[in-house]
Amino acid sequence: MKIVLNWLKKYVAVPESVSDEELIRLIGARLVEVEGVIDETHKYDNIYIVRVEKAEKIPETHLTLCQINSGGDDLMQVVCGAPNVREGMLAVWIAPGAIVPASVHEDAPFVIGKRKMQGYESNGMLAGADELDFGDDHSGIVEIDPEAAQPGDLLAEVFDLKDLVLEIENKSLTHRPDCFGMIGFAREVAGILGERMVDDEMMGPVAHSLSGAASPRPVVTSEARSSSPCQAPEAIRKNNEFHPSIIISDSGICSRYSVVVLEKHGEMEKKYLTWMDTVLSKSGMKPISPVVDATNYLMLLTGQPLHAFDYDKFIEVGKTERPEIVVRLARKGEKLVLLDDKEIELNENDIVICSGDVPVALAGAMGGKTTGIDENTRNIILESATFSLFNLRKTQMAHGIFTEAITRFTKGQPPYQTMMVAKDCAEMLSGGFKVIGGADEYPNPEQPIVVKVTTDEINQLLGTDYDDTKIGQTLENVGFQVKEKGGQLEVHVPEWRTDIHIKEDIIEEVGRLLGYDNIEPTLPLHGTAEKNRLLELKKQIRRTLARYGANEVLTYSFVSGRLLEKAGQDVKKSYKIINSISPDLQYVRQSIVPSLLDKAYVNQKMPVDKFAMFEINEVYSKTWGMNDENVPVAKVSLGFVLAERKNNETAFYKAKKYAAKLLQELNIPVEFVPKQSKLEAGEPFEPVRTADIMVGGQCIGVVGEFKNSVRNEFKLAPYLAGFEIVDIDTLLTNMSDVRKIKFGSYKTEDLTVTTEKSYAETLKEVQAKYPEAEIMPLSIYQALGQKTKNLSFRIKTW
Amino acid sequence: MVEIEQLKQELKRINAEAARIRELAVEKRAEFGRQINAKRQEVLKNIALAEKALLDVEVEPIDVTAWSGINEKMPEFYPTEMGSSHPLMAEMERVCDIYQRMGFDVVEARQLDDEFHMFDALNFPKEHPARDGYDTFRTEEGLIPPAHTSTMQHRVLKQYQKQLDETGRLAVVVPGRVYRNEDVDATHEHTFYQCEGVYVSKDCNMGQMLGILREFFEKYYEQKLNIRTQPGYFPFTEPSLEFLIEKPKSLGGKKGDYLEMLGCGMIHPNVLKMAGIDPNEYHGFAWGGGIDRLVMLRFGLSDVRYFESGNLNFLREF
Repeated sequence: MKIVLNWLKKYVAVPESVSDEELIRLIGARLVEVEGVIDETHKYDNIYIVRVEKAEKIPETHLTLCQINSGGDDLMQVVCGAPNVREGMLAVWIAPGAIVPASVHEDAPFVIGKRKMQGYESNGMLAGADELDFGDDHSGIVEIDPEAAQPGDLLAEVFDLKDLVLEIENKSLTHRPDCFGMIGFAREVAGILGERMVDDEMMGPVAHSLSGAASPRPVVTSEARSSSPCQAPEAIRKNNEFHPSIIISDSGICSRYSVVVLEKHGEMEKKYLTWMDTVLSKSGMKPISPVVDATNYLMLLTGQPLHAFDYDKFIEVGKTERPEIVVRLARKGEKLVLLDDKEIELNENDIVICSGDVPVALAGAMGGKTTGIDENTRNIILESATFSLFNLRKTQMAHGIFTEAITRFTKGQPPYQTMMVAKDCAEMLSGGFKVIGGADEYPNPEQPIVVKVTTDEINQLLGTDYDDTKIGQTLENVGFQVKEKGGQLEVHVPEWRTDIHIKEDIIEEVGRLLGYDNIEPTLPLHGTAEKNRLLELKKQIRRTLARYGANEVLTYSFVSGRLLEKAGQDVKKSYKIINSISPDLQYVRQSIVPSLLDKAYVNQKMPVDKFAMFEINEVYSKTWGMNDENVPVAKVSLGFVLAERKNNETAFYKAKKYAAKLLQELNIPVEFVPKQSKLEAGEPFEPVRTADIMVGGQCIGVVGEFKNSVRNEFKLAPYLAGFEIVDIDTLLTNMSDVRKIKFGSYKTEDLTVTTEKSYAETLKEVQAKYPEAEIMPLSIYQALGQKTKNLSFRIKTW
Repeated sequence: MVEIEQLKQELKRINAEAARIRELAVEKRAEFGRQINAKRQEVLKNIALAEKALLDVEVEPIDVTAWSGINEKMPEFYPTEMGSSHPLMAEMERVCDIYQRMGFDVVEARQLDDEFHMFDALNFPKEHPARDGYDTFRTEEGLIPPAHTSTMQHRVLKQYQKQLDETGRLAVVVPGRVYRNEDVDATHEHTFYQCEGVYVSKDCNMGQMLGILREFFEKYYEQKLNIRTQPGYFPFTEPSLEFLIEKPKSLGGKKGDYLEMLGCGMIHPNVLKMAGIDPNEYHGFAWGGGIDRLVMLRFGLSDVRYFESGNLNFLREF
């Protein structure tokens, strides 16, 4: 959303001492995130109001030779191609050397010069609305109301164009529908400055800005609005054949639906450039036609979107004598052609406005083609309503409609002002239309909200020392009514504040408006907390493996179905993400190692000749079921993979050495036995070259080489092995702080056993002989063609 | 082997049968073609499976109880200088250490959670548009990989109630991995880390929250910092704020160069109530912010994508 600063200042008396920069900082600190500021201070430099004193057609061209009065003594000569240039008119002159405003933000702004056209010297140019960046109109040059300006006046001064436009982050105002209109925004800004918004009584709404006067006055302000009765205009209340009937099928989808019926009594000629044109343009909209401009302007002003139906088309579509408006949910299969010519298929969540039973508009989002207004429109049904933000939010997503109107509706516009805004609009259009009917359906009027809070509660939660008067004043500045009695505040919430329900909401208002930056940071003093054992374990694993040359990596928790298949895991055991970003991220992984194999390929290709990678992260499998909270059982798993491009030895033993070292440093006794386990994490491992890691009689993971098929799928070199410890929580229960330290003198002897038995079996026999000794492996030798091996040990005795 | 031969024979038979398609009436050909093709695909799939299985059949077993291969050297570890901790994890340790020394317990967040903890327990109205702002992923079962560590607030509030009763205070931080369905670029990752803080006592206030946060950031960046706030909106805190720090001078910051570090606020009474804490007796504040950004700032990194790249040339720098 864009906020035009000069427009804002019409409602807020900004003290001299507050610079624009400071004002923007305060808005950022106390109201909303300001994403950017568009500086238009110099956009209209050297652009003047001039009078065309003489205009002569240049024969055989479409051009006119003009002598213009720009306030100086001499007339200037300008060649103009526009059909509407004529003697005596006030026009806008872009002087030589000035930049065409519409091109200011382009890479190469267009600088107007002095040049010859058809042999005639032309100084600068007379500008059209498009060149001035006030919409797309290129049919002629802009004309200025002679009541509003004199030749020689700067355009920027007449129309207040030396401006800054704030770009507001809409998300930070999700809960503040009122701030999506200038009045609501200004009320807040005034409150931040410690004042009330400029109260200018009801100024016959904006008629001023339509007629073209250049220094318009603000319209309807908060006080006037809240006190004016929510009733239809006089004409509406009379019994009249133009009264539409309104049926809201469910007040849950539409809390209030108001309409005013207008009849055309004359052309609303748009002769002069208006201040409203400039405001619409600066706010990011375009002047289009009097009716559309009036609805857009009021939406920007009040936050309440309006929609105009062609009355005659409306009753024709519904085949009724007078308008029968029905607000209901769409039925499956219904279709609607929107104003932008797109046909959409409605779903049962969409709210539609119907003429009789025929949908003619997608409520809150966009009008329908069949009832749109055009240049032949005689009578208008002006809709001002509020719809369920929940439905509209789904509609927005389903049909991809992101209009200014739906942006406001999805914040939950309050129903209190629908009829007032419709009335304002009727009044703005009174030059060409008169009110001949109307209706207002408001089944369950909103009840006033009163919140009780004490000064102490406010100060206690904020850590401040504000007194009753300051708090009361601050709240009243933004429209709350406060009754105070001995520190007890009874706060009456204005009807536009849909977000205030409890005392904490009031405390937020006080803290925010008076500035959180004014709260003194203090530090509650504490001792040190207990350490988290699992985190300490992770830290220890990380330190140990890194110390022995391994690299910790992080990989995504989501993997592709293909990756699971490559690793030999069952896709059905993985939780599936239904709205994944890509097929690569569709399943929640069951173990860490497959992700590491994937990254091993990337690194081996780089090439990194040798590496060991590990990751500690959470994994999930559907087979593990749910925990007490009815969410899936989670396991923190440690995966490890090592790979080398050129090595003919058996990778298994290096991986095992890492696993053994890690457990030794954690002081956990471990045994490696031939694989029998059936863990998900074990699937990629080759059973005859893999060991189960046994701790306290329980298998906590596997270490081994990978199946040839797996290695092939991941395109990795043969020297490849790894391990996975599935649930490192189990390590915690087996860790011991007691460490036997042996030191002093010892003797060593080496022993070689010739045997056909396995290492473990042989070791047992050696241990039986040397019960107190530390026995370490030295080597395994097997001569070619022999069945027996020579197992060598080093025996250390204290 | 025998099995593959048989399958290949069958494929031949099917191909021969397929040739008969020309003998059939035109209107029957489509259906016949479909059936034959289905059979062919089935057999081809089985051949592929059998071939894959064959790869894994004739593997030489090893003695997994031994410590080296036969006639091989004893394996050795890679040199220490090759090793590294992941920068995010190492910094997360620092973050937790700082909070722990300030008196906060550390509880880690889950990585697969449910709608209740993601939204309901945090006072998000059902179907509220604010739920959209989090771009959550969902599983077929409706589970949610958390989009913020605030999913843990409710758990922590319940888990530490006894401590709250006994000591009058609850102070916990929750580091965790979070997920958002958004396109990845230099400053956005769908997977990243956050740290949540939760503090409850009878007399806590916003000044204390700002004090704790300033203390944390000054400890983390090891220097005095200027802080600033701006209003925010979260359904689970009231009031809600964004917390900013002035970019530290040592990291190239200029005066007035403020960075949004986290969202924070006083815990909404409904959130306390849902966790069984009486909001009339206790107040709390909570905050949550990204760790990736913190670390990127500290090391002057410009691309968040390196963190999950598994690129060892990057990781070995740490």
